[in-house]
Amino acid sequence: MIARLADASRSWLHENFTRDNWRLLLFCYVALAPVLLLFGYVRAWPILKSFVLSFYKWELINPVRPFIGWLNYEMLLEDENFHLALKNTAVYSISTVMLSTLLALPLAIFLARKSRFSAIYQTLYFLPVITPMVPMSIAWKWIYDYNHGILNYLLSLVGLPSVAWLTDPDIALWALIIMGVWKMLGYSMILLLVGIRNIPSTYVEAAAIDGASGWRQFRFVTLPLLKPILLYVFVTSTINAFNVFTQVYVMTLGSQSAPGQAVRVIVFDIYQNAFQYFRMGYASAEAVMLTLIVLGFTLIQFRIARDKAGQDG
Amino acid sequence: MTIRKSRSTDIARRSALKSVAATGLAVAGGMSLAPTARAAPTLSIWTGYPELVPYYKAVAADFAKTKPGVEVNVLSSSLREMEQKLSAAIPTGTGPDIFDIGSGISLKFIEAGLLDANPADVDGYLKGGAWNKFTVDWFSLKGKTYGLPIIEGRAAMYWNRAMFKEAGIAGPPTTYGELMAAAKKITKIDATGKMTRSGVSMRLSGQGSGITEKFRFVLEPAGGSLLVQMPSGKWSNGFDNDAGRKALQFYVDVVQKDKVDDPKVPHDAAAFANGQAAMLFREAWVIGEIKKTNPSLDYGVAPIPRWDASGPYKGIVQPWGVYVNGKSKEKATCWDFLKFLTQPANALKITEMTGWGSARNGVDWSPLLKQTPQFEVFVNPPKDVIPFADPIIGPFDEIQSRIADRLPGLFVDPSLNNNPAKVADAIKQLATIADNILKQAGMYGTS
Amino acid sequence: MVSHRSLASRLLTLLAHIVLCAGAAFMVLPILWMAATSFKPATEVSIWPPRLLPDAPTLENYRGIFEDAPFGQFFVNSLSLSLIATVSVAVTSLVAGAVFAKYRFPGRQFLFMAILATAIVPFESYMIPLYLQLISLGWINTFQGILLPTLFMSFGIFLLRQHVSSAIPTELLEAGRVDGASEWWILARVIAPLSAPALSAIGIFAFIQAWAAFIWPLMVANEQSLFNMELGLTAFQFRFSTDYGKLMAGSVLSVLPMLVIFVILRRRIIESVALTGMKG
Repeated sequence: MIARLADASRSWLHENFTRDNWRLLLFCYVALAPVLLLFGYVRAWPILKSFVLSFYKWELINPVRPFIGWLNYEMLLEDENFHLALKNTAVYSISTVMLSTLLALPLAIFLARKSRFSAIYQTLYFLPVITPMVPMSIAWKWIYDYNHGILNYLLSLVGLPSVAWLTDPDIALWALIIMGVWKMLGYSMILLLVGIRNIPSTYVEAAAIDGASGWRQFRFVTLPLLKPILLYVFVTSTINAFNVFTQVYVMTLGSQSAPGQAVRVIVFDIYQNAFQYFRMGYASAEAVMLTLIVLGFTLIQFRIARDKAGQDG
Repeated sequence: MTIRKSRSTDIARRSALKSVAATGLAVAGGMSLAPTARAAPTLSIWTGYPELVPYYKAVAADFAKTKPGVEVNVLSSSLREMEQKLSAAIPTGTGPDIFDIGSGISLKFIEAGLLDANPADVDGYLKGGAWNKFTVDWFSLKGKTYGLPIIEGRAAMYWNRAMFKEAGIAGPPTTYGELMAAAKKITKIDATGKMTRSGVSMRLSGQGSGITEKFRFVLEPAGGSLLVQMPSGKWSNGFDNDAGRKALQFYVDVVQKDKVDDPKVPHDAAAFANGQAAMLFREAWVIGEIKKTNPSLDYGVAPIPRWDASGPYKGIVQPWGVYVNGKSKEKATCWDFLKFLTQPANALKITEMTGWGSARNGVDWSPLLKQTPQFEVFVNPPKDVIPFADPIIGPFDEIQSRIADRLPGLFVDPSLNNNPAKVADAIKQLATIADNILKQAGMYGTS
Repeated sequence: MVSHRSLASRLLTLLAHIVLCAGAAFMVLPILWMAATSFKPATEVSIWPPRLLPDAPTLENYRGIFEDAPFGQFFVNSLSLSLIATVSVAVTSLVAGAVFAKYRFPGRQFLFMAILATAIVPFESYMIPLYLQLISLGWINTFQGILLPTLFMSFGIFLLRQHVSSAIPTELLEAGRVDGASEWWILARVIAPLSAPALSAIGIFAFIQAWAAFIWPLMVANEQSLFNMELGLTAFQFRFSTDYGKLMAGSVLSVLPMLVIFVILRRRIIESVALTGMKG
């Protein structure tokens, strides 16, 4: 019996681990090793330590750190601020991602043509992505101003009443969503351009020869071939949107600003718990919760992409 | 099967990348050397007030004249970020020699043994009449003193003389009742119902403990306090009472009943300087802002009003301390520098350079007052103003922040308008928040 | 063949241009305000009602920022940090992305998901453990300490993996192997050139991310000589007020290099690598 097992495993090994396979496998690990080393040191290890800390009561400065098990997580589930932050962040993320991607798609398709204007438009639409957050928040406070802001001025031109963009608790989050879309649009546009540009022209020509009109061409040729990039855009935009912090923080600073609770987001809550209240263990637990939730969203997005029978190299 | 690729651009790109990397590494190599050790001591100072940097540098230059060879490096960033940096650096021994920080964090450092108590000569200097008793007490913990005061924030009432004259009001209000009456006369609302000029610029929106701090400017004269200490040493909320209800009612009236302020209009120093607000409660730095952005503004500075003619004047006092790192290797030089930094001549300098006030006694403020008489109330506060300060206990910042989360919503909540019962309810809820945080910290007590 | 564009089609294009123009104006408006404010003297910065253009434009702010702090040094620091980070991210993303896309090995799915999952965690939450690691390396207050976390970008690996798996047919790799090429040769001569658009996109994003880095450089730098532009700008954000004129001037200077990088790399994104003679 042992001899038969040995035989079976030997032939399995021979089948799966041919010399060629060994060579490829070796290449994989050697190529990945430095990258994984960097990843491990700069991301995985500190994140793991932070995750472990979520089971302790850690006050950063206090050297005493008692182990408290799931207590941080229990408190988190009852924390009103956390619930509010979760709700706000979810609304912000879903809206920003959907709007910016849906706007970026036709934009990218139109700008994928090599015309003189394309280059200028692409640059102008990308500019918001490279602007620093603090000056931009100041500029947007001016745009949203109730009495003299550009938006209310435009509204008055068509006879609509002024809107308290930033100071109305019900509208403030939407004002930030608009700003978020403004910042994210160029990012999605550039990535979709990468995707569109790499659809081999032969496919497009073949579709045209088959008599496909613009819309059909888009729906049955372009869109399916864009799936991998679209997945990338959705996943990374969602992750970025859930991590929104600086712009919200700056928009609530000072006395001419959005009401804090209306735009409380998770990363702000984490920052406040960690560095204002010095509850680092609690903040770590909150970060873990955020990660799990966004990971859930991400996996769903991957699943949707796979179900639509996309190419998966 | 062939792949057409532009070989030349490919090679060009690769060599471009290589030369970039090489340049970068060369630059990096030049920069990664740690600073070489010096013979004379070098003091490092970190501050969360970027406006203080020129002041520190100027004083350091003077100090070097008395102690040649001493070099001082100043590092600054915005306050919140600097607090993060200090919180990570001090406990791990990678911090500066000297830093300035608020009481919330300095308390934690003291409790963790990261700050030494003041040495005997500094202790004597602090207690020896250079500062008033209120400030000295603020720097004392369990009989010992820690750090020295560098600046002190006091709030006063800025009022626009031109607007008051226009409305036919003689001088600044001295009670909250007069303030409301004056505000009602000066507030301007246009034909469409939009407020174009607010009578008084209260802190109505935004985020952060500042909202609660400004709330206390009304609460204290009304007779309440955010927290009160019990004889046992424990703490409890101090505003679930008539004073608290009156203060919240005042805010609700300002926004909803009498309509002398509105979250939608511009606020704070910029608004006052631009003539969009007639009155403002703020610290001394606004004077500098006005000088820069609208020097022709006709305004005065008066003490924050009392609640009514029988009540006391109350004024917040917010000292800011400068400390020596317990792990510093140059402690003696540091303390010498701090004593030099807080001399009367330098106290005058800090106000002249930055607009922040100082609590130092024995300063001849006349050069400053001749140039800008509006500083009078800040540097020579009237004797009948009773000072109050933040209690130096761990949970205080969190209590202020969590109450601040609620307040903006309450100010504009229509169900609180003309409804004392609901106002009382809201106050009770806020008081419960404060008490719960105290309970969590084991500091709650009612006797 | 004569291209026949109907009136409807031409009107549609005109409409598209109108919409695009309006959109572009909306995109650029806040940036225009930032640039305009950088030329305003202090008395005009927060006048009411606000005006877009300055009445008395001045270069005072630009002159002033170099006086207040060594902005030249900050600029050089930002530039070198960002360039090195960009190269590192490009190389690591290419190698790892290609391997994840085209090679099967045990742990492949798990490793990729782990790399992606760590991108979700907010930096503020693992910043302190990383800081402690840096202390044990002795890299506090050093250039390399500031650089370290920017050398790696999970999103870069993700993008290259998507791009390589969809735009580069495995047959090409097989053809190379049949010809006797090593995997390294295939990586450098087949996959890399065809990944130029994705690499350019990641290059832009890595540059931006490294340039905009704020809290980590602040944590690590104990001397002003190590500051980057973002940290330098905080010199104008006082406790309760801001020197808007100088802040905007510094921000304008900060945006320019990123704009240059974008303009350079944009063309590489748009140029497609033509594949001819592909037999399906």
